[in-house]
Amino acid sequence: MGGEFEGVVRLRRTSHARGGQALLEFAVVLPLFLLCLIGALDAGLWAVQTSAEVSAVQQAAMIASSAGSSPVSETAPDARVVAAAISGRLRSALFGTAIESWCATDASGDCAPDTTQQCPSTPAQVQAADGPRVVVVCVSEADPPACTKPPPGQSAPWPIGCDDSPMITVRVIGFVASLVPPGFGPGARGFELPTDISATTHTLRFAP
Amino acid sequence: MRRSRRRGDDAQAVLETALVIPILLFLVCNFIALMVQVTVQEQLNSATALAAQSRFQAPESAVDAPGTRCCGVHGVMLITAGLPTGCRYAAETFYGTMTTYVGLLHWDTATLCTSGGDSGNAGNPPRQPVSYAGSPTDAEVSCDIGSITAAGIVVPGYVDRSLNPPSGLEVVTCSASASLDFANTPLAWGVFWTPTIHAQAEALPPPFRQ
Repeated sequence: MGGEFEGVVRLRRTSHARGGQALLEFAVVLPLFLLCLIGALDAGLWAVQTSAEVSAVQQAAMIASSAGSSPVSETAPDARVVAAAISGRLRSALFGTAIESWCATDASGDCAPDTTQQCPSTPAQVQAADGPRVVVVCVSEADPPACTKPPPGQSAPWPIGCDDSPMITVRVIGFVASLVPPGFGPGARGFELPTDISATTHTLRFAP
Repeated sequence: MRRSRRRGDDAQAVLETALVIPILLFLVCNFIALMVQVTVQEQLNSATALAAQSRFQAPESAVDAPGTRCCGVHGVMLITAGLPTGCRYAAETFYGTMTTYVGLLHWDTATLCTSGGDSGNAGNPPRQPVSYAGSPTDAEVSCDIGSITAAGIVVPGYVDRSLNPPSGLEVVTCSASASLDFANTPLAWGVFWTPTIHAQAEALPPPFRQ
């Protein structure tokens, strides 16, 4: 009789121990599984977002290269105009992320015509200026050196490349929203993934 | 007896975990690698398309002066003196656009600037594109373009007869190839393939040049 009772107690203890072990295994495996699942989803989402950025930047470069303020313009097109032209395409892919234009501002807070405008060099610079989950569209122009009278023995145009058309660079840079929980994501502070996509082309400029 | 069964269960759980976690990580690594490949392919497509189109931003007859170089990006320096300026524009656009993931790419180098070629038909065997004299042969992008030299000699570009048949249109084609190598990334742990990506783009001359 006593032996049967001990047997029942042992069976219950074994059953409890197995249940506890299964729970522990589940508790260990579930976060790992979720991390892998969300990470894979995040990678897919990142690829879709980056593809959208690449095509938007390509379109923006084409717009910017032919959208100077005049055919002989040597100032970069207004970043807001370029950003507006591609923001619809970006918004459909970069959900949870704000899209802004990056430009020097004048006294009234509008984009100032500035030939020396510099794009941010890192996504962290955008985050510092505009906050998290923001990407900016930046347009910059590199003008060739002014042509001068060639020195003896050299032929015009001088210096070399002075008659080139300016180069326009359009850049989408910042941090996009991510699904991976904070602390695990490859973004600087979790929840975000860095992005930096650019396109460069010569402007279409007619001879004056 | 009981202890040995318990140890057996524990060992089984450890074995299951040891089997499942590497497989899971392997799958995730390969999925991420595939996404990177898709992204790099997109960027290569974009860079070659912009390169082909930028040829038309240069005057048709412009030729680079002696001493002209490009492109100064990622340590690439190509001497383009004597070549059509549009060819340098294409290279500058390509290198300026292809700025990310370059550390993962091993490029197939080719002649920067070629001319000729015909999509043709059986009765009109295609001519092979030929290198411009003095064109760099170690460029990551190759563009087939026509031009008019300073001496007034017309160098024909690639004729695509599928466009405006039967005479075809003289178009600019740019192409680039590279293999994607994950060896220097954390993904190397589970990714054992090095895919080759290729992009080719055609650009039509604007109407006033046709």
